[in-house]
Parts: sequence; C-alpha cells; structure tokens
Amino acid sequence: MAHPVVELDRVGKIYYNGDVETPVLFDISFAIVPGEFVAIVGGSGSGKTTLLNLMGLLDRPTAGVIRVENQEVSQLDELKRARARRDRLGFIFQFHYLLPEFTVLENALMPCRMRGREFEKSQEPRMRELLKAVGLEDKLKVRPPQLSGGQQQRVAVVRSLANEPAVVFADEPTGNLDSKSGRLVFDLMKRLSRESGTAFVMVTHDDNFALEADRVIRIRDGRLVGASVGAPSGAIDAAIAR
Amino acid sequence: MLSYFIRSVAFRHLRYSVGQSLLTIGVVGISVLLIIYLRTIIGGTQNRITQNTTGAIPHITVEPPERTPVGAWQLTNLGIDPDTLYVGEVVNLPKAREVIEDWRLWLPSLDAVDPGVATVSPVVTGQAFMNRGSRRQSVRVTGVLPERHNGIVEIEKNLDAGRFIGMVSGDVVLGQKLAKDFGLKLRDKVRLVGPEGLTLNFSVAGIYTTGFGQVDDGQVFVTLRDGQSLLELGGSISSFGLKLTDLYDAENVARRMAPSLPFKVQSWVVQNPNLFRTLDAQGQTRDLILIMTTIASGFGIGSILVMVVTSKYREIGILKAMGATPGEIQSIFVLEGLLLAFVGCLVGVPLGVLLLKGLAAIRSVGPDGRVDAPFLIEIDPMLLLGASLVAMATGVVASYFPARRAGKVDPMQVIRGS
Repeated sequence: MAHPVVELDRVGKIYYNGDVETPVLFDISFAIVPGEFVAIVGGSGSGKTTLLNLMGLLDRPTAGVIRVENQEVSQLDELKRARARRDRLGFIFQFHYLLPEFTVLENALMPCRMRGREFEKSQEPRMRELLKAVGLEDKLKVRPPQLSGGQQQRVAVVRSLANEPAVVFADEPTGNLDSKSGRLVFDLMKRLSRESGTAFVMVTHDDNFALEADRVIRIRDGRLVGASVGAPSGAIDAAIAR
Repeated sequence: MLSYFIRSVAFRHLRYSVGQSLLTIGVVGISVLLIIYLRTIIGGTQNRITQNTTGAIPHITVEPPERTPVGAWQLTNLGIDPDTLYVGEVVNLPKAREVIEDWRLWLPSLDAVDPGVATVSPVVTGQAFMNRGSRRQSVRVTGVLPERHNGIVEIEKNLDAGRFIGMVSGDVVLGQKLAKDFGLKLRDKVRLVGPEGLTLNFSVAGIYTTGFGQVDDGQVFVTLRDGQSLLELGGSISSFGLKLTDLYDAENVARRMAPSLPFKVQSWVVQNPNLFRTLDAQGQTRDLILIMTTIASGFGIGSILVMVVTSKYREIGILKAMGATPGEIQSIFVLEGLLLAFVGCLVGVPLGVLLLKGLAAIRSVGPDGRVDAPFLIEIDPMLLLGASLVAMATGVVASYFPARRAGKVDPMQVIRGS
C-alpha cells in the first residue's frame, strides 16, 4: 500500500469572529495517495475551499491532525508552513495570477526561484519540456498579458509542478475559462498527474470533470458525505476515506 | 541575506513600472539636490558672514581681569574692628589703565594653552590723534608684534604697498582709506598724539585694504614698543588676541582656558551675541527646510510603494501561497524603496554638484568695486555622502510600512478573489 501524501484525521475548522463561532468543517478524515486525481465537490459554502486551504497549509485546523508525507503539519508556524508549501506543494487557482513582469518561462519557474538560482537553473530544462508539452514552446519569452486566459492557466498548471510537489491543490482551475479552454486545462492536469505521478486535489463545481476524477469527495455543510471512485486509474488503494 | 528571488522580483517591479519608478527617483533626486544645495549655499553664506565678522578680530580675547573695587573695611585680613564706623569712597579705575604687566611670562603658556590655538598676539590699543599738516583725526592705535598679529588679521597679504611683518620702530601701517584721507604715500611722515599728550613721529611703512571696515578705516598699526610708548603703558599690554584653527570652537576653547588663567577670557561668540543668534536662527531655518524636504521625499517614496503594493495585491498573495514568507515579501518592497532612493541619489548628487559648480563660477562686482564670487561654495564630499545616506535611510523607512502591509497579505483572501 502506498503511503498517503496527504492524510486528514478528524479535522475540523471553526472561524472565530469576536465571540461569534462559525463552524465550517466537522470531523473530516481521508487520505490521498501519490498519483491520485481527486475531485472535491459540494455546494457553495459547503467548506470545499476551506478544506483545500487546510490541506494546502494556507490555514490551520481547529481540530484534528493533517499529515503531509507522513509529517504532522497542522500546527506548524507561519514560516514553516510557507517553507513546506514552497518545497512540497503546488497550487493552481481560479485566477492564474501570473506575474506580469516575468516571462512565461520565468513565471513557471517562480517556485524554484524561491529556492535559489541554482535550483532554478537545475529545473529549467524540465520546465521547458513541460511548457512544450502544453503547447507553449513558442511563448517562453512572452509576458503573460500577451497570452489568452486558457494559455495563462496552462502556464499556472505547469508552474504548480515546478518544485516537483507531492501534491497539487487546484481551486476551481477551470472556473474562469470557457468550456473549451476549461476542458483543455482539465485534460492537461490529468495528463500531467498521470505522467508525473503527482497527486492532484481539485475543487470543482463541474460534475463532468468530477466524474472523470479517480475519486470524488463530497462535502455538504462541512461534513464528508461520501467518497466515490470515478474513472479508476489504478492508483487508488485502501487509503480511501475512512 | 537578500535572496535571488527577493532581488529579482524587486528589480522587475521597478523596471516594469518605469513611470512610477522615474517619478520616485525624481522626487528623491530633487530632495538630495536640495539638501546639498541648501547646506552648501547657506553654510557658505554663514561662513562668509562669520569670516567677515571674525576676520578682523581675535577669536578669543584675553584681557586683564575685571576688578571690583572694595572698601578697605571689607578686607577682613586687615584686622578690621566690627564696632568701628569706617567712611570712604569706592572708585573704579579707568578701563584703559587695566593692563597685563607680566605678559612676557604668560606668552609661552598661552602659546601652549590649547591645541586649538593657532596664534597668540600681545596687543596694546588706545585712542590717539593723527596729525598731518592741518588735518587731524582720531584713530585707534594698535601696537603689535607684526609677525604674530598677521595671524590675527592678514595685513601682509592685503598690502597695497610697503610692508607689515618687517615693520620697525617708527613705522606706521594704515588702511588705504585713511591714507587717502590724509593724502599719504609710503615713507610720508605723520604724527600721532597719545591720550596723555605724548607726540611721536612715524613714517608710513605700509598701506593695505583688508575689506574689513573697522581695520581699513580709523585704525593704524605700530610696533608693540611704539604703541606702549605712545599710550604710556610702560612694558604692559592691553590684551592678548588669539586666533584658533576652528573659529566655531571658540566658546569651548575659551571655557577650557579660563580656569587656568587669572584673566578675563572671552570668545567672539560672547562678544557678538546678535550675530551668533542670527546665524543660529538661519541654521535652524535651513535644517527645518531640509527636514521638510526629507519628509516630503519619504512620503513620495511611501505613497508610490503603497500604490505598487495595492496594485500587486494578487501577485503578492499568490507568491505567499506558493511559499514566499512574509519576511521575503517585506524585503522585496524595502529593497524597492532602497533602490529608488539609491538611484535618486545617483541623479541628485551629480545634479547638485553641477548646480553648485555653476554658481561657484559666477562673478559679480561688489559695492566696493571688487570682482568677487557672490556665493562662497565649498563642496564637501562628506555632505554628498551624508545627503545620500539620509535619502537612502528615508527610502528604507518610507518603504517599511507599505512593505509590512505587503507581508501581511492573506493568500486565502486572494484565492477567494476578494
């Protein structure tokens, strides 16, 4: 059995605003294994994005334990969580937010740049290959404002893989794209996940995309209401929701 | 300390926002230029006023102590009977009679009294009448050792004719205006009548123009011995004049000297309180303008960086989500402030120097007919360095607050698109 890359054990989250407590997530437990492509679905305000933020170490749970690659990360301080995000996690957001001052290649390499010039140099050939694989080989020196929305999101997808992360978290990555570009980006994520063996966790509203995931995690009112196997890729094993 | 990531993002931000960057650089450049210009011009003017005032006077004067007359009955060691009524009169000695008798003994110790003392000149001064033919005018006679006194007022350098340092007994050296009034040329004879009526004949040995009114008009120099004879002071002198290496240190040197001497020690600062107050007020005004300018440039840098941080809010959030620490984000913007200030200095310093050199080259004719530079300009490298350091420190301080704001951007808010 493969070790889970991310593991949640009875995770809960309550937001505090003065004396007002707003519970958002309750008792969430599941695990994600390497290479797995997971879709998180649920209605608006169900807690999907909060769950993604907790797994992505952007926020801290108020209950339970989160492990990334077997390391307890729930209560790390801000600096350590930032380092863990930089070294082991990848992110794709609804809005690509590429840096307009940098070229496509430099944007894709930005997470590597944070780790130093040498590391960036070492990763450059791989990133060139990845950008070529997503059809942007002639856009390497172009700045983001000169690209279409779909092209920019493809750069963001490649960027999420720059530091060879254990897992990539994608928050509605197709939400801001037309259906054709959205399909392209989704297929691209699936392909890169398969080829690189990187786990992807995607929050989506689109049931069509969710059905194509290896597994769908459904959230309703902050609770896990079920996990189902989508199109099996062979990567899923017994580490499914407990 | 500043990683490749921090440096590259900061540089790119500045390069990409050329308009904003140039605007800030311009603000910093102008403030640096103003600091250099104001300090040099006002400093130069102050120096000129001070030199004009102190050029003809000693920086420190050592005079006989002020004697407060006391009644004999106040002297307890005379065995005064407390039950006896004493009657008497307290009489102040005339100031002119207060002299330093043993000046030759004091001269070596005054020469070595303080490392700040450059020249010590024993002087006798008093009023006399100058007679030639039917013309008669009251003049101030100054008896000096010429070699020493030339260190107090530079007569030798300003001679129109004749000599000063080589002056011998029977010589008189006087200003051009006085010479003109009396129609005197070199080697002409003139008669001086002392306060007690003693008359001595002198020969004009030198005629000068120093530019100092009080020296050029109404003052004549004779040798110390002739001065003592004319004023009937015997072997005594009226005072010692001291010139210092740093005239602005005069009050400190005077305070250091005073306790070890049985004389009244006064600096030019005390003797010219109004001038000193005026210069002080001028200096404070200048400093106020400089502080305001520095603050304005700080606000310039700060406000532009606030705009940059606001416009980069999403990029900052995404960088933080990808693992940039608050410290790294903060460093990016502080570095931007520092770079803007640094480039501002690179612009402001040469412009300031150029402006000052241009002003220094100007020549105009003064009211005395002399062609002179209206601005006394000395470009001080330490000022250039100081102005640059002030500007860069301002850049760092001004960028700190927007940078801190950037460091606190919450990536989750950015992700939600809010």
